[in-house]
Amino acid sequence: MRSKARGKWTCLVSIVPILLLLLAAGPARAVLTQCPPGATWISPGQAGTGNVVCMHITGGDGFTYMGDGYEQYLLSFGHVTPGVPDAQVLANYTLKATFPAPTIVLKEGQELYLTMTNVGMTMRPDLFDPHSVHWHGFKNAAPIFDGLPEPSPTANMGASFTYYYKARHPGTFFYHCHVEAAEHMQMGMIGNLWVLPAQNELPDSTVFPNGFIHIQGNKYAYNDGDGSTYYDREFAVQLTGFDPAFHDASLFVQPLPFAAMEDKYPMINGRGYPDTINPNPILNRDGFAAQPMHARISANAGEKILLRVSNISTTDFFTITTTLGVPMKVVGNGAQILRSPTGQDLSYETFILNTAGGEHYDVILNTAGVPQGTYFLYTTDLKFLSNNQQERGGLMTEIVIN
Amino acid sequence: MAKYLKIEIPGTLLAAAVLLLMVVGIAGNAAATIVGETGTSFNLVARTGNIITSDGDSFLMWGYGLESGTSMQYPGPTLILQEGQTITVTLKNELPAAAGNVSIVFPGQIVTASGGAQGLLTREAVPGSANAVTYTFVAKEPGTYMYHSGTRPDLQVEMGLVGAIIIRPKLGAKYAYNHANTRFDREFLYLLTEMDPRIHRAIAFGQYNLVDTSNYFATNWFINGRNFPDVMQANYVATLPNQPYNCQPRMLPGETVLLRFIGGGRDPHPMHEHGNDFSVLAVDGRMLQSAPGKGADLAWMANTIRVLPGQTVDVTWTWTGAGIGWDIYGHLPGQQLAPGEDPADHAKPFPVVIPPRDELTFGQFYSGSPFLGGMGELPTGHPGFNAYGGFFYMWHSHTEKELTSNDIWPGGLVSFMIVEPPGTPIP
Repeated sequence: MRSKARGKWTCLVSIVPILLLLLAAGPARAVLTQCPPGATWISPGQAGTGNVVCMHITGGDGFTYMGDGYEQYLLSFGHVTPGVPDAQVLANYTLKATFPAPTIVLKEGQELYLTMTNVGMTMRPDLFDPHSVHWHGFKNAAPIFDGLPEPSPTANMGASFTYYYKARHPGTFFYHCHVEAAEHMQMGMIGNLWVLPAQNELPDSTVFPNGFIHIQGNKYAYNDGDGSTYYDREFAVQLTGFDPAFHDASLFVQPLPFAAMEDKYPMINGRGYPDTINPNPILNRDGFAAQPMHARISANAGEKILLRVSNISTTDFFTITTTLGVPMKVVGNGAQILRSPTGQDLSYETFILNTAGGEHYDVILNTAGVPQGTYFLYTTDLKFLSNNQQERGGLMTEIVIN
Repeated sequence: MAKYLKIEIPGTLLAAAVLLLMVVGIAGNAAATIVGETGTSFNLVARTGNIITSDGDSFLMWGYGLESGTSMQYPGPTLILQEGQTITVTLKNELPAAAGNVSIVFPGQIVTASGGAQGLLTREAVPGSANAVTYTFVAKEPGTYMYHSGTRPDLQVEMGLVGAIIIRPKLGAKYAYNHANTRFDREFLYLLTEMDPRIHRAIAFGQYNLVDTSNYFATNWFINGRNFPDVMQANYVATLPNQPYNCQPRMLPGETVLLRFIGGGRDPHPMHEHGNDFSVLAVDGRMLQSAPGKGADLAWMANTIRVLPGQTVDVTWTWTGAGIGWDIYGHLPGQQLAPGEDPADHAKPFPVVIPPRDELTFGQFYSGSPFLGGMGELPTGHPGFNAYGGFFYMWHSHTEKELTSNDIWPGGLVSFMIVEPPGTPIP
């Protein structure tokens, strides 16, 4: 309800330095990284070795560019480089939010100590929101690490909270902040989270009951027991959208338009086409790589591509298809292999995949027989093929078959 | 790493006061069950009335009510039927004449209609007429169904003329269908609807010519006719006289709960369950089975289920906390296991240090302790809405915009499942 009562601040320029000073000098709040001795620090997008891994992310604000060049204010998480002293985090990591948030990759069975430090919203010194991490789809969760602010404590500005997860289930997940979720998720606090199955680690030449032979280095989406979720390359297809009126209202400290919320910038991995195919990080106004992740899919002919699809739009369902001419085989839904309780195969082939907010799918594209060339993955909800008013944008990217 | 110190003093003044408040107040007497009307004969009347939304607003509605009462209700009475029985529903029309005729259609039932006047989809009740329309059908197949107006449904369903039907199987009241693997311990209803307030304002001011359902734009969302947090209030609470049904799931660890979802409005809603995945047993009153007698052998697991307009979905959900990597009860070595506790995690220490209190914001449902059944010190001013140290899980629409009530956060399609510690009394 606070959102309706927010006043208009006109002197942001003078307030920002005061805020930073307070954060730096305040004795009550402390950044505190918790990582057990002997644990491995992991980097975004890469699984670490060992049974216990650690990561440190920030919750804060920043700027990005939309596909049509429009500068967009957002809230999101950022990655803290391992080794940076806790005392330096607030000074170094304000306005360093990335979209999407850093990708977390774990191996099944690993324990993750994930420290989230709330570095505050530099452009919104009137906002005193805490932030949280919600691992969407975590099975048998406990509220203390579920990131729901209602039944748990959440970190205030300048403070840290360390989440603990034992990654017992493989699959494609995602995470997001759950504090005032309609606001913080529309504002961009969303990232990818994958757990690689134990089946990847089987000894070389293990023979499955159906005769499939596991070769060391093989990758699977799930512990399928028959090789049916084998893939050669994996790509994130994280579907989100921004409503620029909402983001601008946030930046300019106006009442937030919840009722009128409508996504105008549909995105894959935080970008609208043609930015989706730009292999490089996109730098923001400060030269910071705020959009580090592209969405260009590539493979050699004959390879199997795993698409880790998720929809975290706060307003819309999205439908995707490809021009490859081969079906999308849906093998997982909600980080569960598509099998019945009696073990029956419930996977299916489709040419269009409709996704609702909160849904996540594992889709395998078998490129056997697909000629070399450049193909497209795009939305069949044609109104989302735009970056706001700019057409030929939005939910589209290339699939390059070499 | 420092060990987390479990606070063993639940009996602070604050906690005691809160406990008392809760037992007599919100969660304590909010029955965790589905309530409604039972029998084979139901006499309904369509009437006008007002509902209250969580942002403090009030809206004119048209709704079905019991003829024995004086008001309408939103949604209409939940009809709880027994498989095989012949059901008779009569309907009279006390709506203003400008509202026109009104009727009921029963998707999924083979209905005979008599009386009233012939309408486009079915026979209709005429305003002011003592001549009721009568619908009869046999409750043939167990499951979750709905009923709604078959007269100008684009307007009349929006105005509130919708309700739920539950047909219980012959196998027993604790089964969703006639198969042992559809057994449940507790059940909860999620009848989902939405509202475009402009339509209700126009009707309330008699400006029927301003009603345009073609540019419909929902800004308010309801579970069983209430927004969050009103869904947590008791059934039949006096402060919500025309919104009798709550949505307050509660259970004990290891129990199986059945959720009956109904898409009662015009928009699809992806409902997401925190805490664990659920198993999708049935869609539109039919088990997902490969052949008769197999039970729900084609059930699938998920954490988000899209509920489409007019669709019903039955899912079962359970929670044990097994495998979490630490003792969710905060046991010390040598202490007894709680019922159903995962022995592998027994007495395993809590893995992190929770920062000092002034670095944190404490949610209203946090007990002050990370442990199930635990109580800890809470900051001054904390409302303490967690009477038993239960684990709260948000069950909500993942179209997060719908977590608001007409521009106000929080509201809309939010509910909380409470997994209470073993031994907690749950009505």
